[in-house]
Amino acid sequence: MMSIAARSGVFSPYMQATAFAVAGPLKALVPGVVVKGENILLNPKKKFLCRESLNGQSPKTGPAVTVSINGSAGVRFAHTDITVPDFSDYRRPEVLDPNKSSQDSSESRRTFSYLVTGATAVVSVYAAKTVVTQFVSSMSASADVLAMSKIEIKLSDIPEGKNMTFKWRGKPLFVRHRTEKEIATEAAVSLTELRDPQHDKDRVISPSWVIVLGVCTHLGCVPIANAGEYGGYYCPCHGSHYDASGRIRKGPAPLNLEVPYYEFPDDNTVIVG
Amino acid sequence: SCVLCFSFPQTRFYAAQAARKVEVTGFHPQDVQVTRLPSGLVIASLENYSPASKIGVFIKAGCRYETPENQGVTHLLRLASGLVSNLHICVFLCSVTSSRENMTYTVDCLRDDVDTVMEYLINVTTAPEFRPWEVSDLTPKVKVDKAQAAQSAQIGVVEGLHEAAYKNALCNSLYCPDHMINNIHSEHLHQFVQNNFTSARMALVGLGVDHTVLKQVGEQFLNIRSGAGTTGAKAQYRGGEIRLPSTSSLVHSAVVSQSAAAGTSEALAFSVLQHLLGAGPHVKRGAGVASKLVQGVSKATADPFDVTAFNTSYSDSGLFGVYTISQAAAAGDVIKAALAQVKAVADGGVTAADLTRAKAQLKCHYLMSLETSEGLLEAMGSQALTDASYQSPEEISKKIDNISLTDVANAAKTFVSGKKTMASSGNLVKTPFVDEI
Repeated sequence: MMSIAARSGVFSPYMQATAFAVAGPLKALVPGVVVKGENILLNPKKKFLCRESLNGQSPKTGPAVTVSINGSAGVRFAHTDITVPDFSDYRRPEVLDPNKSSQDSSESRRTFSYLVTGATAVVSVYAAKTVVTQFVSSMSASADVLAMSKIEIKLSDIPEGKNMTFKWRGKPLFVRHRTEKEIATEAAVSLTELRDPQHDKDRVISPSWVIVLGVCTHLGCVPIANAGEYGGYYCPCHGSHYDASGRIRKGPAPLNLEVPYYEFPDDNTVIVG
Repeated sequence: SCVLCFSFPQTRFYAAQAARKVEVTGFHPQDVQVTRLPSGLVIASLENYSPASKIGVFIKAGCRYETPENQGVTHLLRLASGLVSNLHICVFLCSVTSSRENMTYTVDCLRDDVDTVMEYLINVTTAPEFRPWEVSDLTPKVKVDKAQAAQSAQIGVVEGLHEAAYKNALCNSLYCPDHMINNIHSEHLHQFVQNNFTSARMALVGLGVDHTVLKQVGEQFLNIRSGAGTTGAKAQYRGGEIRLPSTSSLVHSAVVSQSAAAGTSEALAFSVLQHLLGAGPHVKRGAGVASKLVQGVSKATADPFDVTAFNTSYSDSGLFGVYTISQAAAAGDVIKAALAQVKAVADGGVTAADLTRAKAQLKCHYLMSLETSEGLLEAMGSQALTDASYQSPEEISKKIDNISLTDVANAAKTFVSGKKTMASSGNLVKTPFVDEI
């Protein structure tokens, strides 16, 4: 038995219907195919018009069709045969029908879209603000630093008439346990004689305790306690006299000694700062 | 010359040395080995020491086995061979060829990659998946295929010829008919594969592959569907006419009648007759002096034309006739002149010299087809499928030599007296009908 060879010879390369070899970069044996919707446009190069070009064009036997994968195949014209995929699974149902006007649903679609966008914008702005403030406030003083800014003093250690000095926030802090006589004296001072008029009761919470910063308001020296002509403090640098309430009475200082924030959590302790 | 000797002190004198003897390094030519497994699968292989192997699975699942419900399924099957999911190994070429009788899956690869490639082949032939959405994606490819085939008038005429000549089986076209393009689904493909891709109808052929390896693969993997599957219907010749008018100025026309089934000696006689009458050019840009048909037709017209004898054989039938290409105005003359030449042969106008030439041409045609690996694989595969053996080219040449003048004349007489089928395309104004020739 002889297999009737469906292969044609060199001179009549005709009877393989869809197996093509691309002849080279300049010449494609395959006609270009353009697929436009349902129409397929081919590029026929009809060239048989002379005796020789017809030579061998007749088939000698029945055809066999070959389709080949990653072998010599047809030429692909990518820009014409790539199709846009079908996105109808992801589209809104109101606009799927190409024959219906989309104006009918436009209002509801627009409302929905704008609402969602607006709500998202508000939420994201709030979130952004929270994040930013958290980051920025992380630069403020930490708890240990804040803790160092307060001082707790046991008042029972300070006898009457005595002034004790503590270091607080890098500055000297005077805590003075005043006697009754000093309290009465200071309360009786008339405000007109004071350079910086302040009544004693405005400068203390509990009259028997006066707590002031030990920094002379003239040029910053530390006054000496229980010195001076007014029974209070005396600054040795330039001769400022302060009274038992820390007010300036004589000398170059312009203001009274500064009173910091303090509170008495109980009778025996004071927390300054 | 003394001066020259001084300038070139190293003269080599190679030509004066004796030629070195080249030893044969041990590559002995081997024969084709064919085995038939108990399941019916035929294994054929040839060790040709090539660095590239070629493996083909031949299946009797051509378009003649399509039924009216699934006409066009082989076209989709052809295109669906690219849907194998594990096709990430791209170091090989693969192709599917389908004819009316057979479907062939061929892979080319390097010798060392045979295992990975076998996996692909087995996947495609025994367990194809044909997912429904992938199959429906093939529809545009089918349309492009058909549009490209429509470009070639030869395809249109030959397909039309078969449609007109047979009532069933062989009348099915290689391309999916228009009315079935959207109606072939994955169930049709599955069913076709189930019914036709059975072991008894398959042959596994390899070039450059070890026979034992192929046998092992055949026994282990290609046994999924045993049995003979559904038998195809016997082709019934009816003889009709089909005309495909178009605006082309060239008329392609084929006039045939029923010949013999492949494998019979009558079929060989028809092949000799084909080459006697003229089967294509043998000399580049020659005038076709050796072709009786060309000489006969050139007396009938001065316009450009081409004519060959058309011969094809299938397992139970065959077609033989003439195929002409001519200008529209001369179509009738060309066809009549060609048929007159065949009649002349039937009436005994053949000399012994003509016969010798025809036989030599046929032998040459066959032997040259075996020189390419595709041709050899196809020859081995078709022979393995039809009678589970391989006849060497020498045996075939002897058979060709045994054809006598009377055989050829009888073949021509069969054509002249048989019921004719005709297919024509082009501008058919001057083309005669089948009952007018």
